[in-house]
Amino acid sequence: MSSKPRLLLAFVLAVLLASLLASIFQTQTNLAALQALGVPVPLDVRLGTTGLDLLGFAPTFILLSALGFLVALPLAVWFVRRMPKLRWPIFVLAGAMAIWSALALANAVAPMPTLIAADRSPFGTLGLMACGSVGALLFGLLGRQVRYRTQPTSSDSL
Amino acid sequence: MLRSPRALLLGALLVSTPLLALDYRIETFSEGLENPWAMAFLPDWRMLVTERVGRLRIIETDGSVDPEPVAGLPEIFIAAQAGLMEVALDPDYRDNRWLYLSYAHGSPEANNTRLARARLVDDELRDFEVLFTAQPLKAGASHYGGRIAFLADKTLVLTLGDGFDWREQAQNPANHLGKIVRLNRDGSVPPDNPLIGQEGAAPEIYSLGHRNVQGIFFDAESDRLYSHEHGPRGGDELNLIEPGNNYGWPLATFGIDYTGARVSPYTELPGLTQPLLHWTPSVAPSSLTLYRGELFPDWRGDLFVATLAERSVRRIRVRDGMLAGEEILFEELEERIRDVRSGPDGALYLLTDNPQGRLLRVVPSE
Repeated sequence: MSSKPRLLLAFVLAVLLASLLASIFQTQTNLAALQALGVPVPLDVRLGTTGLDLLGFAPTFILLSALGFLVALPLAVWFVRRMPKLRWPIFVLAGAMAIWSALALANAVAPMPTLIAADRSPFGTLGLMACGSVGALLFGLLGRQVRYRTQPTSSDSL
Repeated sequence: MLRSPRALLLGALLVSTPLLALDYRIETFSEGLENPWAMAFLPDWRMLVTERVGRLRIIETDGSVDPEPVAGLPEIFIAAQAGLMEVALDPDYRDNRWLYLSYAHGSPEANNTRLARARLVDDELRDFEVLFTAQPLKAGASHYGGRIAFLADKTLVLTLGDGFDWREQAQNPANHLGKIVRLNRDGSVPPDNPLIGQEGAAPEIYSLGHRNVQGIFFDAESDRLYSHEHGPRGGDELNLIEPGNNYGWPLATFGIDYTGARVSPYTELPGLTQPLLHWTPSVAPSSLTLYRGELFPDWRGDLFVATLAERSVRRIRVRDGMLAGEEILFEELEERIRDVRSGPDGALYLLTDNPQGRLLRVVPSE
């Protein structure tokens, strides 16, 4: 397989991983808020709600993170090629900023103050950004493997 | 019946629209209203209509809109859902001329719902008094509630919203977010409010656990206070309000977030009052009345709920105090309906929600 389809696959997997983690994070922060108000959340309820959010909420986050990654990851690749020693911090930052930007755009466009409930607090926003960082790191990891396989004499040029 | 002959109404701005249903027709009574929000019937058969953009208009008996808005309104925060909302006449209006207004007050960073009253004299507001400002002030321009009703003892209930981002605060009795409050008409707190004496609780609270209550009606005949509120995606509710009760938002709801996320795993929990009914998917209920007119005998005693998303009015049959089915009306208009009222002439009046909003009058077709 050439590098472009593999990069596309890396992009898709990065989006999916970020969205999977973000959905789980959204569920747990919301359940924590309910628990703080005295609502019981036994394990079966927690697992069931997490699963329902993966079906219901994760698709929304896939759209948002794909939008953010579409801009941030090519930019990250551009920077990595010029600063290869900063490869991982660049992907961490790119993933976080991708999510932050997508959330800011969504909040600016949507009629409500904050579209995603977890984004209502600094802790929640940072958590969602961290999910983006993990996704971007996966992209960086898979992208490096793509580069090794297609051009084995080259080092990390992605 | 109207004091002025019906011919006066028919001869003016009325534009009749033939409908599929044979038992009513809808007439355009007034038009050119910018996002009208609420209406009230004056004793002289004129009407007051609020426009969300911050104008209070007088509608003459022939349906014409007085070109000069009522003077004397306060500074109003206008953005998204914020603006001038309810207008309601004092139960003793003929004697005291007080009318009550709800509106968004503050700035984009710090605002909330405010209640004020003023006397309508020579088509101007005088003796303006701020009675209540919901606390805390919050950012954004969503979920203000804003509807007013008077109870049998002439105290006033005002509906509020959770401000969207502060949904958990609907459970916090220390503030007004997501509450219905009850006040005396001068803004003071009635001594028998349900949370008075509870340490840390806001004394104005009448009920809690609401999201965005945009419909409330007190039926003196049955001594019942009905309200409805917007859910998120699904979970719009019709509630029977009892003092001190907790209506559950966001601990238990039939709705989910707009993003598809669960708001709560539960639709009911011990200690929380269940709705009389819920609408899932959402209809976006915007106003509530109970019909006691003479023109539609079959409708007497039924609840009417204006809707924004469904673009309809829901007629909820009430028989012996029990809900007995629903009927979707006026979908043929294909317009968001912001307000529905039972007029003193027995007609049903509607406000359509758009920048070229209309005041509609529903009368029997025969």
